[in-house]
Amino acid sequence: MARFLAHAAAVAAKDLRLEMRSRERIVSMGVFAVLVAVVFSFALDPTIRARGIAGAMIWVTVLFAGTLGLGRSFALEAEQDALQGLLLSPVDRGALFLGKFAANLVIVLGVELVVFPVYALFFGLDFRGSPAALAGVVGLATVGFMLLGTLFAAMSAHTRLGDTLLPILLLPLLLPVVIFAASATQRLLVGRPPSEVMSAVKVLAAFDLLYLLVCTWAFGHVVEE
Amino acid sequence: MTTVDAGSATAPAVEARQVEKRYGPVPALRGVSFSLAAGEFLTLFGPNGAGKTTLLRILCGAVRPTRGSVHVEGEPVADGEGGWRRRIGLLSHQTFLYPGLSAAENLEFYAKLYDLPDRRALVERALEGVGLAERRGDLVRTFSRGMQQRLAVARTLLHDPAVVFLDEPYTGLDPHAAAMLNRTLARLRDERRTVVLVTHNLSQGLEMADRVAVQVRGRWISDEPRGSVDAAAFERVYTDRVAAAV
Repeated sequence: MARFLAHAAAVAAKDLRLEMRSRERIVSMGVFAVLVAVVFSFALDPTIRARGIAGAMIWVTVLFAGTLGLGRSFALEAEQDALQGLLLSPVDRGALFLGKFAANLVIVLGVELVVFPVYALFFGLDFRGSPAALAGVVGLATVGFMLLGTLFAAMSAHTRLGDTLLPILLLPLLLPVVIFAASATQRLLVGRPPSEVMSAVKVLAAFDLLYLLVCTWAFGHVVEE
Repeated sequence: MTTVDAGSATAPAVEARQVEKRYGPVPALRGVSFSLAAGEFLTLFGPNGAGKTTLLRILCGAVRPTRGSVHVEGEPVADGEGGWRRRIGLLSHQTFLYPGLSAAENLEFYAKLYDLPDRRALVERALEGVGLAERRGDLVRTFSRGMQQRLAVARTLLHDPAVVFLDEPYTGLDPHAAAMLNRTLARLRDERRTVVLVTHNLSQGLEMADRVAVQVRGRWISDEPRGSVDAAAFERVYTDRVAAAV
């Protein structure tokens, strides 16, 4: 198990180091997320109370910004066919998957640290009501998003359609996560108590566990020819 | 000089049994069988589209055969993290390196994946071995094609594999880098590593080989000891054989 985790950590550290050097994913995702928030702020009728739909707006923004960055996750491996080098090594495919997933998770959580303050600024939202519950919902939903997203990014990287195919494959399967995440976020933003979102938190945790098992198992089948 | 353990006394270093590969209806390999003893150096020639790269990718477990099997030192080449993966190395025309990492970072990353001890010292020795010690901290993106291929040689041999597969390793190399690669191949032969070299370069391929095989349209049309090959006439014989088999 220690070896498995060490391999996953090596892959994640390598991806994060590459991202720290290029900053291409975090910058493109962050700029995209801010632009979407700006578009929403101009497009919404001023008479609409933004707090009433902020949960949906935030998750739509995170979803599209995250999908934008996921496509690049396996482009790193394609440049010199480095994925082949990874697959030739004596490393469990599940460890490779978890390493790629962990790096993607850290990057998207970084983008969310931009998205939430931007929405607070543009739409006068207050996230201080139940910060722990909100962090739990955001964390669990992002884990589910990245587990599925990493698997489908690997899958689409093997096709000619590549990044075009990724959202088409990914978004329908993410609907359960988005529905529970957006509704729980919405409730917390309008000041409902954390106990009201506990069922959503449990469902998100269950989805995460299911995605973790299925995606870790399926990754080897997706990347091996 | 390191001399590689010849492995199991009975099992061949590499054994392919009736290996077939089809991509949809198109056959890439049509029942290739051969066996390589530990320490043998096989050069495989063949025209473009003969299925040589497909064969090499099957031998190192990167592609599953449609039928047939491959064994490395007696262990079946299959999915997963089998011990055979530690005993093989592949040098391809692609380097498997990350352009955004430095030379040392690339090798350290692969050293972690192979659980190699004393990684710093090992990486240092590997970089010195390919003449890149002074560029250890430079990003691979800034390297010439020849330097990248030298680093790829270091990556291939980092975990001291007993069996080395080389797929067109001379592609894009200048004479200096090709000479360095020749020295590396000579060292592999002297260390009694088992080598499968796929190349279009007839003279370089013949120079190193113990055995010479020719593959055309997914089949081996010849497989003979180097000693029985007349180097001076080989180009004509090779061209005639390929023309007859196509």
